[in-house]
Amino acid sequence: MNDRTKSITVAVVIAIGMVATFALARFVDARRPPVDVSANDESLYLNAKTAKRISLGFNGLAADWYWMRSLQYVGRKIIEQPDEVALDDLSKLDLKMLAPLLENATTLDPEFLDPYEYAAVVLPALDVQEAIRLARKGIDANPNAWRLYHHLGYIYWQQHDYATAAEVYGRGAEVPGAPAWMHAMRARMAAEGGSRDTAREIYTRMFEQSADEKVKDMAHKRLLQLDSLDQRDGLRKLLVAYQTRTGRCPATWREINFPGAPQDPSGAPYVLKPGKCEVELGEGSEIPIR
Amino acid sequence: MAVDRDRSVWRITAIARNAFREAVRDRVLYNLVLFVLLLTAAAIFIGELSGGQERKIIVDLGLSAMLLFGVFIAIFVGVGLVYKEIERRTIYAIFAKPVGRGEFLVGKYLGLCLTLLVNVVVMGVGVSLALIYVSRGWDPLIVNLWPAVLLIYLELAILTGVALLFSSFSSPALSALLTFFVFIIGHFSADLKSLSVSLGSSGARWLFGALYYLLPNLANYSFITPTAHGHSPPPEFVASVSVYAIVYITVILAVATLVFSRRNFK
Repeated sequence: MNDRTKSITVAVVIAIGMVATFALARFVDARRPPVDVSANDESLYLNAKTAKRISLGFNGLAADWYWMRSLQYVGRKIIEQPDEVALDDLSKLDLKMLAPLLENATTLDPEFLDPYEYAAVVLPALDVQEAIRLARKGIDANPNAWRLYHHLGYIYWQQHDYATAAEVYGRGAEVPGAPAWMHAMRARMAAEGGSRDTAREIYTRMFEQSADEKVKDMAHKRLLQLDSLDQRDGLRKLLVAYQTRTGRCPATWREINFPGAPQDPSGAPYVLKPGKCEVELGEGSEIPIR
Repeated sequence: MAVDRDRSVWRITAIARNAFREAVRDRVLYNLVLFVLLLTAAAIFIGELSGGQERKIIVDLGLSAMLLFGVFIAIFVGVGLVYKEIERRTIYAIFAKPVGRGEFLVGKYLGLCLTLLVNVVVMGVGVSLALIYVSRGWDPLIVNLWPAVLLIYLELAILTGVALLFSSFSSPALSALLTFFVFIIGHFSADLKSLSVSLGSSGARWLFGALYYLLPNLANYSFITPTAHGHSPPPEFVASVSVYAIVYITVILAVATLVFSRRNFK
C-alpha cells in the first residue's frame, strides 16, 4: 500500500467514523430516558462562601456564571409554563433555586448590583423575607448605591408597608448622588403609598434605571396596566352616565359615541360586557390582568 | 567594569531574544487565536444571556482568560526553559561560551516575560475592541482595563520566576505542580495571615506567618472584579505592588541562580 492509498484510506475511515458518530449520537438521544425534572432543582454543590474562597482571582467570572444561571433557570421555568406569567408574579413557578443562585452571585461579587435588582423584582412573590435580606445585604456591601434603596423600598411598597418604604427611600435620598426623585418618593410613600400615581412613579423609575430588558419590559407592562386602569375608569364613568340617562347599559360602543371599540395601551380593543356597564381587556391584550 | 556590564547585558538580551523566538516557534502565541475566538463569541452571544451585563462579563471573561492562559504559559513554558536546554544538551554549547549561569537564567526569564507581555497586550487590545463592539463606540471601561492588565502581567512575571526557580533544581512535572501550588496558595495569602494571627500554638503561628511572607501575595494582583465595575486600582497601590513584584522576582532569580550555579551537568 503506497502513501497515497494510505492517506485516502485514513481519510475515508475518518469520514465514515464522523458520520457513524453523528448517527449514533442521534440514536442515543432518541432512546435517552426523560430528564428528571427535579434534577434542575438540585441544591448547589457549593455554598456562596466556599465558592468565593476557592474562586482564586476569578470570583467576578464565577459571579457572572451564577447570574446567567439564575436568568436561564427562571427563563426555562417560564418557557415550560403554558400560561403567560409576569416577571414580578412568578409564584406559580417552583423557583426554589433562585434565591441560592442569586446569593452565590452576590457573595462572589458583592458590587454586582443587577442580581439585587432582579431579586427585588422576582423574589417577593416567592419569598419576601429572602428578597428583603438580599436587598439589605446589597445595601450593606454598597452603602453608596442609591439604586439598592429604591429596590428595597419597592419590596416594602409591594407589601403595602408604606411607612418602611418611605423610611428606606428617605435613607436612599441621603446617599451622595441620589436623584431628587428619591426625596419625592419618600414624601409620596408617606402621604399616598397605595395610590396609582405612586405606582406609576415607581415603575417609571424602574424602567429608566434598569439595564435588564426583562425588568424594563415588566415595568413597561405595569405602566401600560396603570394607563389601562385609568382608561377603564374613564370608560366606566361614561357607561354609568349612559345608564343614568337611559336606564340601561349600552350594547355597543356606538351608543356612547365611539366609532368602534377603543383600544387599550397595548393596541388591543376593549370588550364591552353586554348588560353590565362593564369594560374588560380584550383577547390579545398585552396588559397584565393581575 | 563598565565594558563587562555592557557585555553581560548584551548576552542576557541575546538569550532573552532567543527564548522569545523559541516560544514563538513553539506556537505559544497560538493561544491568542483561542482567546480571540472566546471573546468574539462572548461579544456576540453574551448579550442574550446576561440581562444587559455584557460589558461587565466581557471584562471578567477577558481578564480571567488573560490570567488563566498566562498562568498556563508561565508554568508550562517556564518549567521547560532550563530543562529543554539540558535535555537537548545545548546547554553545554551555551556554557562553552563566556555566558554566566545567572545571565543564562535571567535571559531565559526575560524572554518568557517578553512572550507574556506580547500575550497580555494583544489580549488587552482584544478586550478593548470587544468592549467597543458591545458598547457601539468608546467605552470608559477601556481606561480602567489597563491597570488591571498591568497587575495580571506582574502576577505572571512572579509566577514565571517561581517556575524558573523550581525548574533550576527539579523535574518539569514536579516544578509545574509546585508552581501551580504556589499560584493557589498565593491567592489564599489572606487566610495564611489570619491563621498566623488566630492560631493558639506559637509554632503554628510562626509557620503560617513565615509562609505568608515567604510566598508571593498574589491576591494583591487580582483586580479583575473591581475593574469590571469601573474601578481602577489607586496609583500608589499599583506602584507598591510593582515594587513588591520587582523585589520578589529579584530574590527568586537570585536564589535560582545560586541553585543553578551549583548544579552539575555531567
